[in-house]
Amino acid sequence: MDTAEPRTLAEDLRARDDDALARLLRARPDLLTPVPNDLTQLATRAATRASVLRALDQVDAFTRQVAEALAVATDPCTYEALHVLMAGTQAAGGAPPLGEALPADRAAAVTAALPDALERLRARGVVWGGEDRLRLVRAARDVLAPSPAVASATGLGPSVGEATAGMSPARLQEIVADAGLPATHDPVSATRALAELFAGSGGLAPLLGTAPEGVRTVLDRLVWGPPYGEVRDATVPVRAKAATTAVQWLLARGLLLPAGPQNVVLPREAALALRGGRAHRSPEPAPPPIASVPRTARTVDLTAAGQALTAVRTVAEVLAAWDTGGPAVLRAGGVSVRDLKRTAAALDLPEPQAAFWIELAYAAGLVAADGEVDEVYAPTPAADGWAQLPAEQQWSALVAAWLTATRTSGLVGSRDPKGRALSALGPDLDRPLAPQVRRAALDLLAELPPGAAADRDALLARLRWNRPLRPGAEALRTDLLDWTLLDAEVLGVTGRGALAAHARPLLAGDPTGAAGRLGPLLPEPLDHVLLQADLTAVAPGPLVAPLAEMLGVLADIESKGGATVYRFTPASVRRALDAGRSAAELQSFLTAHSRTPVPQPLSYLIDDVARRHGTLRVGAASAYLRCDDDSVLAELLADRRANGLGLRRLAPTVLAAQVDPTALLERLRAMGLAPAAESPDGDVLITRPDARRTPPRTPPLPVTDGPPVPDDALLGLAVKAIRAGDRAATVSRSTPAPRDDGGLPRSPAADTLATMQAATLTGESLWIGYVNAEGAASQRVIAPLRVEGGYVTAYDHTADETRTFALHRITGVSTLAETDNPS
Amino acid sequence: MSCLIVQSDKTLLLEVDHEQADACRRAIAPFAELERAPEHIHTYRVTPLGLWNARAAGHDAEQVVDALVEYSRYPVPHALLVDVAETMDRYGRLRLSKDPAHGLVLTTTDRPVLEEILRSKRVQPLVGARIDEDTVVVHPSERGQIKQVLLKLGWPAEDLAGYVDGEAHPIELDETGWALRPYQKQAVEGFWHGGSGVVVLPCGAGKTLVGAGAMAQAKATTLILVTNTVSARQWKHELMKRTSLTEEEIGEYSGTRKEIRPVTIATYQVLTTKRKGVYPHLELFDSRDWGLILYDEVHLLPAPVFKFTADLQARRRLGLTATLVREDGRESDVFSLIGPKRYDAPWKEIEAQGYIAPADCVEVRVNLTESERLAYATAETEEKYRYCATTASKRKVTEALVAKHAGQQTLVIGQYIDQLDELGEHLNAPVIKGETTNAQREKLFEAFRQGELSVLVVSKVANFSIDLPEATVAIQVSGTFGSRQEEAQRLGRVLRPKADGHEARFYSVVARDTIDQDFAAHRQRFLAEQGYAYRIVDADDL
Repeated sequence: MDTAEPRTLAEDLRARDDDALARLLRARPDLLTPVPNDLTQLATRAATRASVLRALDQVDAFTRQVAEALAVATDPCTYEALHVLMAGTQAAGGAPPLGEALPADRAAAVTAALPDALERLRARGVVWGGEDRLRLVRAARDVLAPSPAVASATGLGPSVGEATAGMSPARLQEIVADAGLPATHDPVSATRALAELFAGSGGLAPLLGTAPEGVRTVLDRLVWGPPYGEVRDATVPVRAKAATTAVQWLLARGLLLPAGPQNVVLPREAALALRGGRAHRSPEPAPPPIASVPRTARTVDLTAAGQALTAVRTVAEVLAAWDTGGPAVLRAGGVSVRDLKRTAAALDLPEPQAAFWIELAYAAGLVAADGEVDEVYAPTPAADGWAQLPAEQQWSALVAAWLTATRTSGLVGSRDPKGRALSALGPDLDRPLAPQVRRAALDLLAELPPGAAADRDALLARLRWNRPLRPGAEALRTDLLDWTLLDAEVLGVTGRGALAAHARPLLAGDPTGAAGRLGPLLPEPLDHVLLQADLTAVAPGPLVAPLAEMLGVLADIESKGGATVYRFTPASVRRALDAGRSAAELQSFLTAHSRTPVPQPLSYLIDDVARRHGTLRVGAASAYLRCDDDSVLAELLADRRANGLGLRRLAPTVLAAQVDPTALLERLRAMGLAPAAESPDGDVLITRPDARRTPPRTPPLPVTDGPPVPDDALLGLAVKAIRAGDRAATVSRSTPAPRDDGGLPRSPAADTLATMQAATLTGESLWIGYVNAEGAASQRVIAPLRVEGGYVTAYDHTADETRTFALHRITGVSTLAETDNPS
Repeated sequence: MSCLIVQSDKTLLLEVDHEQADACRRAIAPFAELERAPEHIHTYRVTPLGLWNARAAGHDAEQVVDALVEYSRYPVPHALLVDVAETMDRYGRLRLSKDPAHGLVLTTTDRPVLEEILRSKRVQPLVGARIDEDTVVVHPSERGQIKQVLLKLGWPAEDLAGYVDGEAHPIELDETGWALRPYQKQAVEGFWHGGSGVVVLPCGAGKTLVGAGAMAQAKATTLILVTNTVSARQWKHELMKRTSLTEEEIGEYSGTRKEIRPVTIATYQVLTTKRKGVYPHLELFDSRDWGLILYDEVHLLPAPVFKFTADLQARRRLGLTATLVREDGRESDVFSLIGPKRYDAPWKEIEAQGYIAPADCVEVRVNLTESERLAYATAETEEKYRYCATTASKRKVTEALVAKHAGQQTLVIGQYIDQLDELGEHLNAPVIKGETTNAQREKLFEAFRQGELSVLVVSKVANFSIDLPEATVAIQVSGTFGSRQEEAQRLGRVLRPKADGHEARFYSVVARDTIDQDFAAHRQRFLAEQGYAYRIVDADDL
């Protein structure tokens, strides 16, 4: 510290060295945008409420408690006073303390932790000033100090001075007298005397010693907060002699002060004295420990590795399921509930899990919307690259994406504040807190010895200590932690709740190292399967990619996991044949990859399906040509003029054509042939021009010249409106002289009022300008009836009814010429 | 590398050729159901029922998890382990027991569970007064019912109420010239230890002897329920031969005779006969203080018998079957009412021990003639199967097969009487069908056993429990659509071990490219899963 005490935060900052300033800016990056011009500007910005709130959100629970204590302390505050607020008064001799003292070990821990916590606040620019003049920036004090509207975490009420702000000096003197203090000259010294009485160690104890039964009970209820209590007649002055109840006893002596007609409050100084000087019931100088549940590191790693393989496979399955175009993109973005269900069914997983894998694939850039007119989700080009990687690298890519993703699949299916359901891949799934929680939780797990798992509640308590959040955010964090633990388990980042060894390099930002450690744990891909006579094939481990791909086409998957069970069915074999394989190819493929001879029923199945495959052929033609004389057809095929018709011989007497029958007939006729059209039943069609008809239509209505004739009611209204407008426009205006330009009449407010009042007496009509609530100005002719409370009640000739006009909206008034007066 | 792969869908794949396979099989058998047993990899499934049965047999979750973790080749999915522990933990929260004051009571160690199940509409009519917060009275007659309902609710009750001994009656096995086979002994022990349950053994593996063994253990009056009269006679015959029981001690309760003796054999049919809305023969269950009730061919147990069985929970019950697959999916009812599976042996294992004959299963694909194909294509949907199953082409192939195996004892089995009559005519062989009298049937079977007849044409009356040890060749020409257990039972007809130890043949004649072929594929599934590989041959190649 400089020898000269800084007087402002700016001066304090100015006195700090560059490193300290850098620390400040690192801790509060929001101060840098835009870069402040000078330290005064920096200090101003650092003292703004929004920025201070953000800074306070980043500190741990103990540091926050220190800030809260400073907020209820006097400003400025000495280090000793702060220490008392945190650790309590030491029960060293003298009167026994009024409140329960902090256990000695806890008090020692607080004493040890306090300088660091204070330094953290100072580094963040929330506290400044020297050891004996600690100042909390005003915005922080406003946020943290108790006020009637916002309860403080300390559970303390307002100080005597604040609580007696509206009290009459006479009443104050009564309280001072009843508290056993000499009378003072003014309210300020009275409150000071009271505060000193409560705060001083010698004052309160004797006072309470004389208290009747029940007083301590009332105080005990309020002392640790909330400090407000509900009573009847809080504001009725009570003298000590007249007090009958415990509350009245306290009210008479100022130990309770009225906070409203039905509420009383325990003033801060009294509460602190009763608490043994402490601002918090349980200061938390040290983070709550995380009890570790030991597991074998080997089991953890193997379990996680197994799960990692499943994770990679599941994502591959998502990509495969969407390979030929996935679900349509909703108009608002995202996947519909039905499509999610379908994908979940395809993956054989519950929907929330399916949503997780889809979001993961999206976060890793493996699927995206294709941006076409009928937009659908589909794998990206990156997915093809990913699919070629070895499993361990696929995994590290997925986990790296998961660690930093702000998208939160756990929210899928819940509703946003507007009641809209949140869909997978849809908008509003981003939660900036998500990667922070993931990171924090995994970092905590990483601190444990290898293979040790942690209790979820312990993790949550630790996260809460590390960074207390507002209640809304806290609920989200609890959810996020649960999701994180779940996701980490299914991703194989953790195994049985403990961080796997192969996940540690990822936390250090080394995906290659992670993949390197995972690789040896994964089972070696196999190049063979076991074929069985019940038409199943079992792959007793993961298969090499080409084999898995081919088997996936040739057989249906029955069971997944460490091994895969495939079943051959006629349909699956046909699928392989459709994909262009021949029966011989399939047979040799199975022979090559089976460790045992191919069972006879299986090879028979393949041959049997192949025998029938393709015996029926299907194609598209627009028309056909039939002729019993096949030489005519041969001639036609050879004719160059028939080139554009797309003719192809299907049988000796049948040709298929790729143009429609009408065009075909015309072209053939043009070639000098005489074709006849055939109906679907094979009859010759007789052609005759078709008469064309519209669907049923009603005849049009006659259109008359000019607008429709108005009815009587409409006419009456129109005439009235015209007359009223006319009157307003043509009145001869008397005093004060209206403007000639036909604008609103203007007159001073006093004149307006006088003219109105005169008109109520005479009953004459007036011409006024009036501005309505929407700000629209109009002119009206009114006959005032009453003027009271700033309003004129008058008969409005324009609207033909009695209305109320606000005087302050009347721009001016002018009397009508005698001839125009309707009355 | 170990031999077990635990899949996330709760199936366990066991590599049978592995050296540890036997140890692993023993470790997982208590809680996992054998689902398929083809040649290389057997599939077991972990089901809640299996886990609860394991708990009932005294295994705990720790043992199950240890078995999985020890033998698993890959890490066991954590979710599965958690699920196993949670499922097993549900067992025993509720207990059925005898209370000296209140009779049968349901007690709980977990009060919310009791509250939950008492709120169920299905439980409410089964229970009586609430004795205290943890105990509620159960109507003794609803013991089976409440167990079944609680099982469906996912809170299986541990039944500690025990069994009545029944009226004692001396029964001994008469093991002269033969002895119970090891697996039969294990089956009897498994059943007796568990109190009630089902024993699954292949056809021809001697289920009757397991029944006799159980009776000799119980030494009490016994009610035996069988499928039909012929089978009842066979049971009687077998019991007289294998045990100390004499003819006077064994009664037959069927359509023709109504004898009630210390050991009574009744048919399902007579029990389920309904007159004027009531079952007049139900009193049979109460006519004696039975110490043991035996259900033969439990997979055929008719629905009304399920209901009666629910009332018999205080008596020991033994179900016998070769194929616990029910096309109506009521396997779980069998388990909850008669009891869990107490013994199960894969067919191929018994075959390997030489107790049933090895069999060569052949599916013969017959090409229909063009006119037959046309007729098939135009047949009404409901007539299609009947048409393709009974075509003349199939008949000719069947005749060729019979001729090929001339001199061997051959059964021709079919569904449609017209077809069988026609075949009988062409083959010059007698036909046994529903209308054949019992006396006539027994006469023909006896002639077949003695070798006087070498070809017998039978309808589905011969599906079960007909003991024809010398049948070597079975030719199936049509069946009850896709019934898997029928196929297995029919194969069972030829599986009795042969005197000369030679192989049995089972032909299934199937019309190609028709619905017959689809049904055949479905029918064969059970046997294929038991490791019977069907060869498929074209009829033209024969």
